[in-house]
Amino acid sequence: MKVELYNHIVRNGLTRRTMLKGAASTAALAAMGGAVPALADGHSALRAAIMKIPGVGMGSPGDAEWQKVGEMCLGPVKDRVKPGEFKGVELTFMGLNNQNLHNFLFRGFLKPWEAYTGAKINWIDLAQADYNPRLQQSIATKTVDFDIIEMGAPFEGDTAGQGLLNEMPDWVKDQIDYDDLVGYLQPPVGTWDGKAYRINIDGDCHTFCYRTDYFGSGSITGRANPPKTWQEVNQISKDVVGKTDPLTGLPAHGFLDPLKGWGGFGMYFLTDRAGPYVKHPDDPAFLFDIDTMKPRINNPGWVQAIQDVMDLIKIDGAYPADQINADPGTTGFQQFLAGTGSMLTWWGDIGSNARTNDSSVIGDVVGFSMIPGSDKVYNSKKGAWENNYNEAPNNAYLGWGVYVTNRVEGDSKKRKAAWSAAAHIGGKDISLWTSAYPSGFQPYRNSHFVYDEWEAAGYDRAFIEDYLGSNLDTYNHPNSLNEPRIPGIFQYYSVAEDELAKGFAGQYGSAQETADAIAAAWEKITDSIGRESQIKLYKASMGL
Amino acid sequence: MSLSEGNYLHIVMPDQISLRRRNFGRFIIWGSAIFLILTVLLQSLDQTNFLTFGFENWRPTLYAYLLWAFCLCLGQVILYGEQGKRRLFILPAVLFVISVVIFPLIFALGIAFSSWNLSSPDGRQFNGLANVYQMWADPFYWNALKNMIYYTLAILVEYVIAFGLALLLNTQIKARKFFRVAFLMPLMLSPVAVSWMIGKSMLEARFGPISRLARELGWENPSFFGSHEMARSVIMMMDAWTFIPLMMIMILAGLQAIPKEMHEAADVDGAPPWKKFWEITFPLMLPVSITAILIRIIFKLKLADIIINVTSGGPGGATDSVTSFIFREYRDRSNVGYGTFLAIFYLIIIVILMTILIKIADKWMKPRY
Repeated sequence: MKVELYNHIVRNGLTRRTMLKGAASTAALAAMGGAVPALADGHSALRAAIMKIPGVGMGSPGDAEWQKVGEMCLGPVKDRVKPGEFKGVELTFMGLNNQNLHNFLFRGFLKPWEAYTGAKINWIDLAQADYNPRLQQSIATKTVDFDIIEMGAPFEGDTAGQGLLNEMPDWVKDQIDYDDLVGYLQPPVGTWDGKAYRINIDGDCHTFCYRTDYFGSGSITGRANPPKTWQEVNQISKDVVGKTDPLTGLPAHGFLDPLKGWGGFGMYFLTDRAGPYVKHPDDPAFLFDIDTMKPRINNPGWVQAIQDVMDLIKIDGAYPADQINADPGTTGFQQFLAGTGSMLTWWGDIGSNARTNDSSVIGDVVGFSMIPGSDKVYNSKKGAWENNYNEAPNNAYLGWGVYVTNRVEGDSKKRKAAWSAAAHIGGKDISLWTSAYPSGFQPYRNSHFVYDEWEAAGYDRAFIEDYLGSNLDTYNHPNSLNEPRIPGIFQYYSVAEDELAKGFAGQYGSAQETADAIAAAWEKITDSIGRESQIKLYKASMGL
Repeated sequence: MSLSEGNYLHIVMPDQISLRRRNFGRFIIWGSAIFLILTVLLQSLDQTNFLTFGFENWRPTLYAYLLWAFCLCLGQVILYGEQGKRRLFILPAVLFVISVVIFPLIFALGIAFSSWNLSSPDGRQFNGLANVYQMWADPFYWNALKNMIYYTLAILVEYVIAFGLALLLNTQIKARKFFRVAFLMPLMLSPVAVSWMIGKSMLEARFGPISRLARELGWENPSFFGSHEMARSVIMMMDAWTFIPLMMIMILAGLQAIPKEMHEAADVDGAPPWKKFWEITFPLMLPVSITAILIRIIFKLKLADIIINVTSGGPGGATDSVTSFIFREYRDRSNVGYGTFLAIFYLIIIVILMTILIKIADKWMKPRY
């Protein structure tokens, strides 16, 4: 769970009395002999117990709580590993240090594991900005110096595709209940050439955030409901020009497109717009042709998405001033949360910050839904538009996972130790706790969406259903966008951002010219990485 | 003691070195050199898979180099005695420079003529002049170079302001010490902090205090980074605000070194203030000014942090510097080969430009008395 969201729940949604009431009733029910609410599986008592550490409303958990949860969830490890079995084994774990969580959280979880197994873990903590360069350099210079790595799925092409990862043993799949994943995280994500490598610990997706006070009777848009298509989004953005924001009294604005790059991550936001235009339900690809790696970025669907943005740029007042210099951080945190603009796509952070961030003014007037669809979709295979309603929500970045590198190969004891450690922090029960308490990770298993467990822990049912439900629709959408996990995917995104910035600044004659420039740059990247190898890896990443 | 005796004491006479000692000296120098060459050769063969020795890294070559460097230094003393000891004052420094500057530069040249995308499974591949052609046709790079011309020309304005401030601080004004410290403060700040404090906060279009002031003054929708010219100018101003104190403090030091008698003599002759400045102060300050400008140019050519933080080179490349562009090529696109070539090409331009400037400056440095 996001830290901010947890704090908000504690501050505003839950009193100590309701928490105690919830905890006491749960305990009473448990004492009556299994009358605990319908829980996800046979570990119900354990799950209910860890959900009370430290207890919702009892402050943010720290290292003591992490160790306690780690200790309580050691059962599956003990079933497969004898005490002291890994004595003398040293493992190196590379991960992030964001918000003093991630690696710090893992340290706490793994301390009891180290004590039980006798293994020792050395840690490489990295800031988010240093992560990609460090990983790429390690790979390119053949100096992979870590046995376990916390990594996003987009990098699977760079690692699994180059044979740097170790295949997950079957016993690990049993231990973590491998199949208990929301739709989009099911294979081929986490697999390569049919082999599984990833232990999921997180979920990611973009959702649509809107201001509820812009809709309904008497609202400035005059519309009863928020938009369902991007065509409506653009129309609303045009309609509100010259009107006054009902909350701030400042000029009203519609959708907030980030027009400035963000180290490659800005590309996800154009993809939000383009998804319904370009992701045909019959075709898994949307960025490249699978057989040739020919970019699709300059096909009519993508060009339409770029054109939609350019149309709004041309209208004075459609965007806030200086939008050309607004990156996603600006649109999300400095604009939308501060009451500028009425529609936005973002990760879950904005949803949680809307109600918890002190600088947010929109906490009471914010709503969430899946990313809008489109009245038409471009069929790349047929080369023609089809006038069908199409939805294609964006599972941007695909969430964090834990992987074991091939440094453990040839040493069966070390390999078992590495996978045991990874499986412990990606275990089914421990993951419920990371979903429910501040950890930096989102829910990602189907078993995380058993609302009774949350309610029994003391959460407000309506709030948690709203929070979890907004993600669940996107996660399990049959036509969601799952980016290709090919090597250098962020290189493609980065150069696209540069060309888009030029297009948005008016340096290209049209959306088509802008898209053509991106396509040309992508072709160069493909050639520099190796076209044949990219095609092969692209197919492997798609499970083809 | 006579003068000649004094000098005599400091003359190092050639030592009488025995043939055996000479041979030993030559042996350790050439022996370690051959060992170094052999190690490099074996490692190269191993690296290119001609032969397999199982080297895991290049550390053996490093150790062989260190051994050779040690033997070379020791050999100087063995071969030349006291004269050799003199050489030891400079030789280790030369060897150090070679190892941390020359060698990396040679390797960088190798990388510059390679296709090396860190995501490529093929690793580094020699690609001849392909990077040259790519650069030639790369509008982003030429645009960044063009921007560098604008940024560099802005130094002239910075110089005028710095000179003015230095003159002000050189006069007897109230709270002079306070102003000297206050004017130096921006230089003490990291450009990253400046870019966040000013570029991302004070100039923020909606809530920034400067934007609010601009709105109060009648600018309806203030946007400091919206248009090309405006964005470039604001970047120039932030950079200037940070580094004008550097020029100012150098010029101030120069002003304080001018003998007071010269101004007093001019006063006696009845020279007006402008004449005094133009005929005395400015010519005497030329050497310091040229030095300050040259140092400032070197700083300016490295301009990147403010741009990366505030505009990422935008809008549409209007504020991109060569360094910020190379940073994107490297960091976001892992394009090591092309990025290195751009950096080397930029280095060559800088070296040529600075050499010409220093030559020209050499002539100007001679004050017009």
